[in-house]
Amino acid sequence: MLMVLSFLVLLSGSAWSGGGELKIFTWSEYMDEENMPKDFEAATGIKVQLDMYESNEEMMAKLQAGGLGQYDIIIPSDYIMPSLINLKLLTPLDPSKIPNMKNLGHKFTQASFDPGNKYSVGWQWGTVGLMYNKAKLKDSDVTSWAILFDPAKNPGSFYLIDSVREMLGIALVYLGYDFNSAVPKELKAASDLLIETKKRKNCLGFKGGVGGKNDVISGVADAAIVYNGDAIQTVSKEPEKYGFIVPREGSEIWIDSMCIPAKAPNIDAAHKWINWVLEPEVGASLSNYNQYATPNDAAVPFLTPEDLKNSGIWPTPEIIKTLHFVKDLGKDNNMIDQAWTRVKSH
Amino acid sequence: MRKINLFVSISAIATMGFLYLPLMAVAFFSVNDTKYGLVWKGFTLDWYLKLFQNEFILHAAWNTLVLAIVSTLVSTILGTILAIGMDRFPWPGKMNTTLDLILHLPVIIPDIIFAAAMVVAFGFLRALSSAFEPGLVNMIIAHITFQTAFVALVVRSRLISIGKDVEEAARDLYADTTYLLLKITLPLLMPGIVAGAMLAFTLSLDDFVISFFTAGPDSVTLPLYIYAAVRRVVTPQIHALSTLILLVTIIMVILMERFTRKVNIK
Repeated sequence: MLMVLSFLVLLSGSAWSGGGELKIFTWSEYMDEENMPKDFEAATGIKVQLDMYESNEEMMAKLQAGGLGQYDIIIPSDYIMPSLINLKLLTPLDPSKIPNMKNLGHKFTQASFDPGNKYSVGWQWGTVGLMYNKAKLKDSDVTSWAILFDPAKNPGSFYLIDSVREMLGIALVYLGYDFNSAVPKELKAASDLLIETKKRKNCLGFKGGVGGKNDVISGVADAAIVYNGDAIQTVSKEPEKYGFIVPREGSEIWIDSMCIPAKAPNIDAAHKWINWVLEPEVGASLSNYNQYATPNDAAVPFLTPEDLKNSGIWPTPEIIKTLHFVKDLGKDNNMIDQAWTRVKSH
Repeated sequence: MRKINLFVSISAIATMGFLYLPLMAVAFFSVNDTKYGLVWKGFTLDWYLKLFQNEFILHAAWNTLVLAIVSTLVSTILGTILAIGMDRFPWPGKMNTTLDLILHLPVIIPDIIFAAAMVVAFGFLRALSSAFEPGLVNMIIAHITFQTAFVALVVRSRLISIGKDVEEAARDLYADTTYLLLKITLPLLMPGIVAGAMLAFTLSLDDFVISFFTAGPDSVTLPLYIYAAVRRVVTPQIHALSTLILLVTIIMVILMERFTRKVNIK
């Protein structure tokens, strides 16, 4: 028996060849999952293995539950970076291995969560909004979040987004409070609103951005709160059938960055990946595929011109005024956790 | 008298319907010729064919099989030894009930608490040796842990039913312990051991919670794959996969029931 077991260990061990493999832990449908790894392998000879998650919290839980030595690249959002840095879950980057860092736009080299790009390099940035089926909802209906939160309105069947900060933030701005509020009274009002909304028979529940988008496409839902790029991949192909909008009360603007976890098995390959993604053509093909905005200034000339004009991907200054970055609240993160647990369990 | 019978049979049918209708719905949609939607559009086995071309699913199926077979083998052996030790050794009275309680614990503990305990335990072991990174080895160890209890319970009930008479007769005829175990106890116990092994196999095949917490990126099993896929988009391939897993599980359970039934009739 011991022999069989040790034989098995050896077998499975050989599958993990540390030398030429890169393990990426990223959001689902965030890159061309078939071709981008193949292109990287063609450029550097390193095989890529993808694993996906649906939310930052899920990724962080996996890292803390023993995944620290399992992945070479993770793609966290801006607001979770302070927690990752404070808990020492990241490896500092080696700038000598990333000469293409100079391609980053100036705004992304001085981000408040990581000035000087010590731990992270921008991947994509974007917003959160409402994707809707134009057969069921008119453009004029969806200009305000009231379409989902006001019981008098009938939005057809809809999904709320299964992500703590985005969903609570949207409820807070709809009620007139600050997107990042940690005031208990305000959080309670927001969580009450979400509980009421969730209980209406039109609401199909909470789902991650990608799942919600897929359900609008398949007709299971008429509307869903999604990330802008996911929605625009479909909206730009069928603009008469689907629409995407950031309602006027406001929403989130986010930046996702590439980071290397603390005990990554192949740090060298991770640096090569980051440097390769920062190349102008690669950055542009990534954004052209997933229809998000790129932080890579050198890639902008290679982007599809229609995308640059699309206010869903590159928001206009008026929309940007209503968008908020999620802030890490330090000790008050606890309050947010409590509010969300309350929403999910009532 | 008749009234009671009618009520019982109606509840029985209703309960079975409640259990099986959703599963039938999954099987129904796995042969439906449409990618999205809930309308019947024609019979097709395309989704089953696509299943066998999908590399991720094949890799996950292989992992599931390896995990189930290895953990079943080890846990059957350990569980049988445990059951024989518990039943045939003259423990003092209190010790017997304590052992009984300990044996029932893994069966009663909620999966998620068990899984959380595994995470903590492996985290501690990782500090001692890097062989305990989340992955197939961790999953096998975790599965063996909960399967042993189930196997031991099944085998023990079989041990109690065969009784000590035959063994005492063998002892009277100068049988030593090795001979006793190999030629008498084990053959009599075989149906119970096989039933326990099948139970362990089914449990491992279907296990989600414990696998979720001990899996590494390379050791995805079918339940984990289905969970991840369903959160994004439900394609009929998932329905086809679920139907296949369901069929395998049903066949295993029927076989197991056949074995134990033969035993009881004897």
